[in-house]
Amino acid sequence: MMAEKRVQCPQCKNIQAIPGASGEVIVVTCPVCGFQGKVVFPPLDQKTIPVIQLKQLTKAYGRFTAVDHLNLTVYKGETYGLLGPNGSGKTTTIKVLCGLLSPTAGQAMILGQRVPCKTLMQKIGYMPQETALYLDNTVHENLAFFAGIYSMTHDQFLSQEQTMLRFVDLERWRDALVSTLSGGMRHRLSLACALLHEPDVVFLDEPTVGVDPELRATFWGFFHALSAKGCTVVITTHYMDEADRCGRVGLLRNGRLIAEGSPQDLKLQTGTTSLEDAFMRLGGRKMV
Amino acid sequence: MRLQRTLAFSKRTLLQFRHDRRTLAFVLVMPLLMILIFGYTFGGDVKGVNVQLVNNDFGIQPGGTPGISFSQGIFLGDNISKHLDTETLDIHVSANASEARQLVHDGKAWAAVIFPANFSENFQWSLAYPESSIRPTVEVYLDGSNPTIAGAVLKAVSQAIQDTMNALAVTLNISQAHSPLAVSTVYAYGGGETRFIDYFAPGVISFAIMMVTTMITIILFVNERRNGTLQRLLASPATEAEIVVGYSLAFAVIGLLQSIVVLVAAMVLFNVSIVGNIFLALLVVMLLGFGHQGLGILLSAGAKNELQAVQFIPLILFPSILLAGLFWPIESIPSYLQPISYVIPLRYGIDAERSVMLRGWGLGEIWIDVAVLIAFAALTLTGSALLLKRKS
Ligand SMILES: Nc1ncnc2c1ncn2[C@@H]1O[C@H](COP(=O)(O)OP(=O)(O)O)[C@@H](O)[C@H]1O
Ligand SMILES: [Mg+2]
Repeated sequence: MMAEKRVQCPQCKNIQAIPGASGEVIVVTCPVCGFQGKVVFPPLDQKTIPVIQLKQLTKAYGRFTAVDHLNLTVYKGETYGLLGPNGSGKTTTIKVLCGLLSPTAGQAMILGQRVPCKTLMQKIGYMPQETALYLDNTVHENLAFFAGIYSMTHDQFLSQEQTMLRFVDLERWRDALVSTLSGGMRHRLSLACALLHEPDVVFLDEPTVGVDPELRATFWGFFHALSAKGCTVVITTHYMDEADRCGRVGLLRNGRLIAEGSPQDLKLQTGTTSLEDAFMRLGGRKMV
Repeated sequence: MRLQRTLAFSKRTLLQFRHDRRTLAFVLVMPLLMILIFGYTFGGDVKGVNVQLVNNDFGIQPGGTPGISFSQGIFLGDNISKHLDTETLDIHVSANASEARQLVHDGKAWAAVIFPANFSENFQWSLAYPESSIRPTVEVYLDGSNPTIAGAVLKAVSQAIQDTMNALAVTLNISQAHSPLAVSTVYAYGGGETRFIDYFAPGVISFAIMMVTTMITIILFVNERRNGTLQRLLASPATEAEIVVGYSLAFAVIGLLQSIVVLVAAMVLFNVSIVGNIFLALLVVMLLGFGHQGLGILLSAGAKNELQAVQFIPLILFPSILLAGLFWPIESIPSYLQPISYVIPLRYGIDAERSVMLRGWGLGEIWIDVAVLIAFAALTLTGSALLLKRKS
């Protein structure tokens, strides 16, 4: 995509317009003073297209405000971590975004459409905090059900089912009743159900709870692969080590965003070496 | 509304039933058990009812009477007694009327059938002078505490009288129409052969669909809510209408299965015959099911778990059993309770099922019932779709 950037020479303050395509880095010489510098046109998939935008989003349960004037933007292809202790409003935020709760004030936009919006839902994957599955159906039947809900063709489903079952390591359990699975296995299946239809935006509410460390690493590998393909991934967690793997995190406390940035930025900003410490410094409570 | 999404709900629900054998058994066995238990206990035929027979009738000795010849004499009390159905009635002959009444009074016998001394004589008088007020009267002293038994006794007595008159009409050469004793019973439907089970079977089919659909819907939706699947669905492209209709289709399949099991059992075990159009009968039962599915979804909002859901059973069960005409006609319940039956949808289902199965009525005759059931289904299903849509 062609664009034009107006840049100011840091030396003589002369302003000039530089044309360029996204992804290009152009070496520019100032026509007035001869200063040489680089102008960067960031690639499109490098987090410049806003996908999720919250403006003054507020959700109150009666007199209790669970989400308080939240402003944040998540860009295409990001893995965004909503971080905060229990009760800080992570789930509530996600539920508003998925159209399950109507906001008390403010608004939320996804892919340029204001939520709630039924047509948007086809492009969204949602893994609720509770493993929302049909316990009296098999693993396969649950997946087939969601494939039907998301209008997948039979062939699409068969190949995706295999991919997903391999990814969450449940291939052997395809025909087992969900009620016979352990908590962690149900969690994995729930994740598979959310990702089955290859959504553009996924909301994962604590997807790694009860998942062993090895598989957790696999999960994160998969999340990063998703975002590399341009899928926007929003994950809530209260594990600090996981937050470190996010492209960007937003720290929530009492329904308010108290800090936002890449894990490195936050650590630099607070002069700490771990996110845990950074969070404490930024006024958070202890996480777990 | 999209078919693929709608069918996804139906398919999943049916597959769940396939795994959950016990619930499936409940769905099929419950109505079967009902029809078996009630079929055999009330079996239609009341048998061996203890009845005291007192025949004080002197009769009329052979001889002549002006106009009418009684060459062999008449012993009407004897004649009628001989015609009493000994299978239904366990007849004990008693000499003393007041003793017989006392036995009934003490609960040792269900009825005393007493022919007075002038029974035949009065018969003769009333034949000779049809305008006079003299009537031969048989006294039936009856314990009416059990309407089924009381009805059976009365029926047996009047049947015996009618049979006697039929026989006498030939020997006495009088037309039956002139017989002062003739009991005229004309059956519009059922040819006099309708048993309790015939009356009961259409009711059981309706009742079973109602109970099973309501209960299972409540439980399924309580679980949908509690497991979080409902939330997940509301965050999917599936619409509330698709959810509701998807479940309806599944219940239609289950209801069909259930109705067929009951119908076959009723026909094979109890020889219940279906006069009317079986498809119309099934259609009525489906409509009833759809309405109660909607009701179930609405009620599920008021229960937090399965235990609370079960507490709805008596709330639905008792009015339906007692007031909707399942066991006895609505006309026989106290008149101040009768209006309540109008708001019980089961009433219309049972009424329509009976009309179709026993009377052979068609849509033209049962359209009011059908209209009410359609309205009920439309109301509850729309209401439940709106309820599912509701956000906090
Ligand atoms: N339905 C509800 N009614 C009242 N309060 C609620 C409800 N759901 C959540 N809350 C409250 O809102 C706050 C935020 O909850 P939640 O978004 O679930 O937090 P998190 O997911 O970060 O643990 C909590 O204090 C919780 O008690
Ligand atoms: Mg939460």
